[in-house]
Amino acid sequence: MPPKRLLVAPLVILFACKPPTPAEQMDSALSWVATARMAGDAWLRHTTPDKYTREILELCQQTLLQLGTKLLKAPVPGVDTASLDNLLTRSRGHIAQMAALVTAKNSPGFRQQLDSLISDEVLVKQFADSAESKQ
Amino acid sequence: MKKILQLALGIITSVGGFLEIGSVVTAAQAGANYGYKLLWAILLGTICLIFLVEMSGRLSAVSKHTIVDATRERFGFPFFSIVMLGIVAVAFLVLVAELGGIGLSLQILSGIGFRWWAIPVSIAVWLLMWKGTFGLIENGASLLGLVTISFAVAAVKMHPDWGSAAHGLLPTMPGDGKAKYGFMAVSILGASISPYLMYFYSSGAIEDKWDESYIPMNRIIAGFGMTFGGFLSMAVLVAAALALQPRGIDVEKFEQAALLMTPALTHWGFYLFAFSMLFACLGAALEISLAIAYFFAQGLGWSWSEDLDPSRDARFAFAYTIIILLGAIPLLFGIDPIKVTVMSMALTSATLPLAIVPFLFLMNDPIYLGKHRNGWLSNSVVAIVILISFVLAIISIPLEIIGG
Repeated sequence: MPPKRLLVAPLVILFACKPPTPAEQMDSALSWVATARMAGDAWLRHTTPDKYTREILELCQQTLLQLGTKLLKAPVPGVDTASLDNLLTRSRGHIAQMAALVTAKNSPGFRQQLDSLISDEVLVKQFADSAESKQ
Repeated sequence: MKKILQLALGIITSVGGFLEIGSVVTAAQAGANYGYKLLWAILLGTICLIFLVEMSGRLSAVSKHTIVDATRERFGFPFFSIVMLGIVAVAFLVLVAELGGIGLSLQILSGIGFRWWAIPVSIAVWLLMWKGTFGLIENGASLLGLVTISFAVAAVKMHPDWGSAAHGLLPTMPGDGKAKYGFMAVSILGASISPYLMYFYSSGAIEDKWDESYIPMNRIIAGFGMTFGGFLSMAVLVAAALALQPRGIDVEKFEQAALLMTPALTHWGFYLFAFSMLFACLGAALEISLAIAYFFAQGLGWSWSEDLDPSRDARFAFAYTIIILLGAIPLLFGIDPIKVTVMSMALTSATLPLAIVPFLFLMNDPIYLGKHRNGWLSNSVVAIVILISFVLAIISIPLEIIGG
């Protein structure tokens, strides 16, 4: 192996072994909000079954709860933690409502919650971008 | 005519049996995170696999030995037992991942959690092994696995930018996130170059009674089958790059990957994904169970053949029975099959030198291969594989253990 690679490999390992940064956790939160949105869009287009849609929305909600707790413990530098927590809590609420509305087969109500989630997604993205720029 | 049919079947089953949970998950994660940028890793892994599979078939056709037989005979039992320990342990983890993949596919179809499927799935796999023949396992599951071609249909229907995709076939480094990118490349290579496939293929050549006249056919099956299979892996990556990356979705859970084909194929996309994974993982679970049982039987000198009645090779049948039942246990405890997949891909990388170094010696031994020994090209490719696997091992294991 070339000497340069021998030096780089341990650095790569060290760099990768640190726990996820708050910015990475923000990216993960954005990914789960986006997942809920995609699953919601798919359900409205009748492309996914009810059981699966409920299951993935519940998974999104649980994962966002865990990520929110972690972000509260290790705040993102330069980000208003209280606003972020409010936003994630609100997003989880929309996702929980969507899961319930799948059971009720209430498409108009579901669409309303999905629209609200889409607005939240824009804000989560702003937080994620801000966290990345300050990393 | 019979050989032409065998050739066609060989290529078709290689394509249908190419994808499994490791290749799908790693390609989907790569596409979702880096777009087309990691296509080169699939290309490299596929080229390596073509050579390794061709060599496995050639060794069996010429020497009438499986890789396991020849390794034990050439290097002695003490060395062989070290190889066996490493390979079987990792193959077992891959089996757990595949059984979990079947369970997860059934979970998204039925809404019943994957752990509830652990026992029924294991019994179904065991029954297929107990009642089935080698032909059924080799061809049946792989023919069902042809449903995975839907990944290619979905990728094409999403109109990829072919220029950017072609650019992704050349290795590049991203501006930031190099460590994650490197780990993704490592996982893809680990998923592509699976030693169990070599052991299964070489045992299959003996089961099918190959001789030297099969060498050209072996070359074509390995070349075309693995190439088309590699294209399917690339299709998964392209589909993820088009469906998930623009939305900012990373694939941390199986449920997220299930949305992969819905933008292109609507409700068919969801069911095609579920059935693709179901059949791909079923085929892989059968092949791995058989490969592990072959390893024990050939290594310990037991009578073996999937075509024999279990009463005539009882220890061989006992080996796969125990392995399949043990494979269900971690899933019963709710271990996430995706985490097992990622771990097993890294450990696969670590065990590649263990599998490939002795294999290289065998492939150059005139006692086993006579005039059909490796040429410079095959040797160079195997040497590169060993180097890659070494780098894979030293990078991926710490990443996995410490939590990269």
